[in-house]
Amino acid sequence: MTLLLLGLSCVAFAQNRQTVTGKVTAGNEPLVGAFVTEKGTSNGASTDIDGNYSIKVAKGAVLEFSCIGYKVQTIAVGESAVINVKMEEDVSFLDEVVVIGYGVQKKSVVTASISHLSSETIKNTASTRIDNVLKGVTSGVTVTSSSGQPGASSQVRIRGVGTINNSDPLYIVDGMAIDGGIDYLNPNDILSVEVLKDAASGAVYGARAANGVILVTTKSGEKGNARVSYDFQYGVQNPWKRYDVLNATEYALMINEGLLNQGQAARYADPYSYGEGTDWQQAVFNWNAPEISHQITVSGANDRVNYFISGGYFSQEGTVGGNFGRSNYSRITLRSNTTYRIYENKERNFLNKFDMGINIAYSHTNSSSITTNSEFGGPLGSALAMSPLQSIYADDSESLLAEHPTARTDPWNGKAYSIVDGGVYNEIANPLAQLSMPADQWWSDKFVSNFWGEFNIIDHLKFKSSFGTDMSFWGDTSWTPAYYYSSKLYRDYSSASMGQYRAFTWQIENTLTYQNTYFDKLNLEAMLGQSAKSNEGLSVGGSNKYLIEEDAYKAGLWFTTGTQSAGDMSVWGGTYNPHRLSSLFARVSANWDERYMLQATVRRDGSSNFGPANLYAIFPSASFGWNFANESFVKEAAPWIASGKLRFSWGKNGNEAIGQYGYTTTIATGNNYAFGNPGVIATGAKPNGFANENLKWEESTQTDIGLDFGFLNNALTFSFDWYKKITTGMLMSMPIPAYAGDSAPTGNVGTMSNKGVEMEMNYKLNLGDLKLDFGANATYLKNVLVELGNENGWANYDSHKIGTLTRGQNGYPFPYFYGWKTDGVFQNWDEVNSYANSDGTLIQPKAQPGDVRFVDVDNSGSITDADRTYLGKGMPDWTYGISFGGNFHGLDWNLLFQGVAGVQVINVTRRTDLYYINLPSYMLGCWEGEGTSNRLPHFSMGSDDNENWRMSDLWVEDGAYFRLKNAQIGYTLPEKWTKKVLISSLRLYVAGENLFTATKYSGFDPEISSGGTSLGIDRGVYPQSRVYSIGLNLKF
Amino acid sequence: MKKIFNILVIATAALMLASCSDKWLEVESKTNILEADYYNSADRLFSGLVAAYDPLKWYDYFYQYNSLNMVSDIMADDILCGGSNDSDQPTLVKAHYYTLTPADQPNQIWTICYSGVNRANIVIAKAPSIEMDETTKALYVAEAKVLKCWYYNILWKYWGNIPYYDENLTFPYSCEQIGHDEVYAKVIATLEGVIDSDVLPMKAAIGDEGRVTQAMAKMLYAEMVMYQNDDTRYSKALGYMQDIIKSTKYSLASDFAGIWLESGEWCDESIWEINYISEGGIRDWGAPIATGGSVYPVLIGIPGVTGNDFVDGWGFSPVAKKAYDMYSANDTRRDGGILNFADYAAKTGNTYVPRWESTGYFLLKYLARKGGNHGYVASDNLNYGNNQRIYRYSETLLNAAELLLRTNGSSTDATNYLNEVRERAKVSDETATIDNIIEERHLEFVGEGKRYWDLVRTGKATTVLVAGDPAGRTASWTENKKYWPIPQSEIDKSATTLTQNNY
Repeated sequence: MTLLLLGLSCVAFAQNRQTVTGKVTAGNEPLVGAFVTEKGTSNGASTDIDGNYSIKVAKGAVLEFSCIGYKVQTIAVGESAVINVKMEEDVSFLDEVVVIGYGVQKKSVVTASISHLSSETIKNTASTRIDNVLKGVTSGVTVTSSSGQPGASSQVRIRGVGTINNSDPLYIVDGMAIDGGIDYLNPNDILSVEVLKDAASGAVYGARAANGVILVTTKSGEKGNARVSYDFQYGVQNPWKRYDVLNATEYALMINEGLLNQGQAARYADPYSYGEGTDWQQAVFNWNAPEISHQITVSGANDRVNYFISGGYFSQEGTVGGNFGRSNYSRITLRSNTTYRIYENKERNFLNKFDMGINIAYSHTNSSSITTNSEFGGPLGSALAMSPLQSIYADDSESLLAEHPTARTDPWNGKAYSIVDGGVYNEIANPLAQLSMPADQWWSDKFVSNFWGEFNIIDHLKFKSSFGTDMSFWGDTSWTPAYYYSSKLYRDYSSASMGQYRAFTWQIENTLTYQNTYFDKLNLEAMLGQSAKSNEGLSVGGSNKYLIEEDAYKAGLWFTTGTQSAGDMSVWGGTYNPHRLSSLFARVSANWDERYMLQATVRRDGSSNFGPANLYAIFPSASFGWNFANESFVKEAAPWIASGKLRFSWGKNGNEAIGQYGYTTTIATGNNYAFGNPGVIATGAKPNGFANENLKWEESTQTDIGLDFGFLNNALTFSFDWYKKITTGMLMSMPIPAYAGDSAPTGNVGTMSNKGVEMEMNYKLNLGDLKLDFGANATYLKNVLVELGNENGWANYDSHKIGTLTRGQNGYPFPYFYGWKTDGVFQNWDEVNSYANSDGTLIQPKAQPGDVRFVDVDNSGSITDADRTYLGKGMPDWTYGISFGGNFHGLDWNLLFQGVAGVQVINVTRRTDLYYINLPSYMLGCWEGEGTSNRLPHFSMGSDDNENWRMSDLWVEDGAYFRLKNAQIGYTLPEKWTKKVLISSLRLYVAGENLFTATKYSGFDPEISSGGTSLGIDRGVYPQSRVYSIGLNLKF
Repeated sequence: MKKIFNILVIATAALMLASCSDKWLEVESKTNILEADYYNSADRLFSGLVAAYDPLKWYDYFYQYNSLNMVSDIMADDILCGGSNDSDQPTLVKAHYYTLTPADQPNQIWTICYSGVNRANIVIAKAPSIEMDETTKALYVAEAKVLKCWYYNILWKYWGNIPYYDENLTFPYSCEQIGHDEVYAKVIATLEGVIDSDVLPMKAAIGDEGRVTQAMAKMLYAEMVMYQNDDTRYSKALGYMQDIIKSTKYSLASDFAGIWLESGEWCDESIWEINYISEGGIRDWGAPIATGGSVYPVLIGIPGVTGNDFVDGWGFSPVAKKAYDMYSANDTRRDGGILNFADYAAKTGNTYVPRWESTGYFLLKYLARKGGNHGYVASDNLNYGNNQRIYRYSETLLNAAELLLRTNGSSTDATNYLNEVRERAKVSDETATIDNIIEERHLEFVGEGKRYWDLVRTGKATTVLVAGDPAGRTASWTENKKYWPIPQSEIDKSATTLTQNNY
């Protein structure tokens, strides 16, 4: 099959031409679909099913043979009419091209710091979300799962915490910047992910790149017939760990001890009579929660059309409340990526080619979620706090329901859940009663499409234009029946609420790219571009009380009877302020013989977030590289170095997410006052505070030095990066006196520093049919808040009943754990009385034996707020990943280990302000007399003059962990079997997730992040699941 | 095909040009109006005026509990601090003991007052350029000016030497601190100007209760003149008091206890109150400035009380036993203003759980009553509808009596004014002297935030406010306790332009 493109007539040149035929092979197999082109022309052909080709070429022509995955070969035709070619596999093929934003670059000449993940890597991580894909597989990226709740996003930090404000990276999917979450992406559709880590690589995204950029490229078809594949996976999930709390006997003993320590009578006469009591975790967890996914892909390409069509469905039940429908997630994804060659004319060197393409993705997600990571009555936190003496069900359902008709009942057996003592539990309720409530349902529909055209203006000069849209709808519906959990937690009316949101983004981009080679050695590429983006949105919602009937199916605003006049009804909503971005950018890349490389980028961004005083921001960058292994003297002296490259880059990036209208004053309503008797509210309005008309973007400046090495024909590679990133102009309220009479303006006043080292290593080994690969990466990060920018140089962030937990402070990591240091427990009165300062006054005059000895950090002679100090941090020093993979005769396997070190966790799952709640087992180690414990104070129910359980290092634990994140073993059935049933390939596999975790942490999971500053604060986090799954990959 | 290319080239070039324009980046807000575009009508000026009233209702809770009556009374002799213990609300305890520090004090009063000043200044500054009815405009400006004077009056009484400005500050937000006499001079001059322009009504029309009136302005004037002991203005202040009396728009309520009920709000005796509403009240712990009720009744409420009359409260502001004992038994102000729990318990069998400094006497005037937060929406505790009474007509009478004596005016009139107040309380007549007028104020205004200032201005503070009473107060009141320390954060943020008071 000879494919002469567009069937061009070649008659005019026929007299000077000859026909060349031959066979292209690889190994001993014919190579199908390899390209044969006449060098310097657009004349070409491709090989047929037997690897044969035929091409008419000019006399003395040079033929170029190419095929994806193989090294290009160039052969002069000479006199022979038959040229057979053996193609050599290109082992570094997958790594060869890197997406760099508005273009691609050969990996060998990349001068910036970019991590590349292939679809193979993504497949091995078995993730359902793109943010989780990055965990453990690349250096420089710290991914922390926020919780094990289905659909929960992860916190992704590229090269540390870039700012005290939003440090999330920018996501670009097929050139389109995606706002508002990227869980619409099906990881199966992804061809590659590039993480732009240094300023030089991010600079082409200018004012949005300060926290790093993640470029996602989705798949396209491969040349040849349509390929159809179907993938299926089914898994069961279970919590990988339970939190060790007291059983009923231990509980009764501890409560008695606590009362006796207060001089009160014991409460339980015979603690041993209670046995184990209720295991609340057993009751709350949804054991063997299922997870299922289906995926169908059809793809293919010929010379005119390239297509990739996929549909996927994924659903997951949560391990907490999933059985009640309270913590579930499902997603439908559809995608069509197509490219068309609209026009091609090989006869001329101008306007000779025109390609168009459109990528369309649609996703629909549905989710319900429970309150997680909260000490105030999330089901999991409640399960930890429930007394093991408390029964799950009421002793007498009927009489309980007679007294409290709105008490919750078990949906399966109808028994009433027990009512807890409101005086003991406050905002904590029977967790099963909570779970039995109807779930808030979140849904979203997202359409992302990008339509583009590219044509050659003349040889070497291309123009590309793209128009993309991102339309998102999302919303929530919820209803609450009247309920009664306890005397403190009840509601005697039902209500329903709904909210809907819509956002629309369009983006137009045009780029002009020039690429040429001079003197055979100087490769030059220049790109000039423009981008404009606009985003608008709206929201509308309402709520009302009093459902006509408590019917889950009908619950909604229509079905309520509350009236506006009684204040039952509320509506809210409106349009969001538009956000616009207008940018120009340019990039020049040059290399001499792939030895000396240089790249320079500049971007100018205008943003509607910037005021007239600073409407445009300019971000320059430059990077240099030296492929020293390509130098002849290195080749001679050290031929064992297959590749070696030294990189240096410097650049500036910005963060334009500084809020809207920060530079001017708008009017704030709601400053109301009531006049009359009785008072009637009059609407008041005032300026929203002082403005700072000079407000501008946050800016980060980064220097990166990198070294890449390859040995053994690049089967063994090393990569090393050192960087220093300084963020300046971080937004913070300016320190102005309160007597100015209004809220302080925001200023560009803070500075943050991140330094780090990143290492990656890969080794591929082929031992005949046994192929092995090994990868490892490690990241070290040192983050320091240089200048917070307010007048006192610190600010407190998260807090708990035990006091402030986190603080940001000049000279410390941001944020850090802040509290008192302890120095053991006073064993006797002598120790209390000898803990005195120089003049003999007691440092802790209220202490008694069994109380904690706090360290007088500031040597003031007493324990005060000023003695609080650094106790740790939630951002790890070290993040690392290790993978082992291989295959042998159809059998394949892959293991991914991942871990962090140099990190702490605050375990504040225990409430100290409630008595008679259950306690973690570590409390059994409390001081009970001289010599019993020198860490945990005596347990006491009631007043605690020494404030033993204030925020101190007693709450801080080592958060390091090492985890077998993924393990997969697959077997591909021999082709000779499957071909008979028209299946080209069938792979069956078993996989496991979180199979093994080594950690000293006592809580559910050492991975915790529920917000910007709350990294590492465990208030009862939803643990990640251990998942066992089976699956199949079927190709037709 | 070429044509298509050409069109595309031109179209994209045009797009590039268009998208580069600055105009395109100037996005008009869809959710907000710029300040520069807002103040253009009478209604909008009025909304600015409402915003200037807004901070009045923050004192009881703005992340500190600083009801103005309570904060001054705990520095005097009738009201104790209370709460769960002496570390419950340290800033209040320090005020109670005269041990305030620059860092630890009820400094939110400072912030609230300056918010009011700032907002009043906006109304005054924006009014001239607005096209609207001139009479209405003059009224709004007059109200704003009086409000500003009222806020400055609070700052002046607590801190004395303060930053003062009549036009809002701009970058770098620095303002000169002036001495207390100078503050007085500026505020009193502004007040005189407004009062003499006579644009305010003597009494608020129905539906306008809570707005500033001529009577309120005159009461504020008298309060400041008397606190300053400014004898040059006594006669003017007296004239103002007599204007109020002669207007016959105000009169004493016959039932003293009834004043403090919801039905007693804005009774004929009431000259000015801070309005709180429980119906639809959306004040909340995270939203102290939202419109609604007050937390003060719960704050001073009877801890752990049983029965159906009162709400379980937090036990702040217990009334000293000697304050209850100073009344004669037939004085309706005793049991009309103070709850003697032992008596109440004997009648009802209800109990309570004493907390720190409990005396068994509670300030009935503002106690949280069952249903006092009817119709609340947000926090149940933060939405009691009890208005804070600022000026009552009985004070007008006692001011007039005192000023008559201080200006050697008619002692008969003074005695008549005094006895009008005494007769309403069902106690026998007396001949007016300065001392017994001050004592009458003591009886009349227990818990209303008048006592401390009376003791200071009459020089009685040094003898009455002595160490040991209450027990934890180890320092006696001295002249340098008159002005609180300037808040440390303000000194820090003002680049040392503020001089600290010698507290």
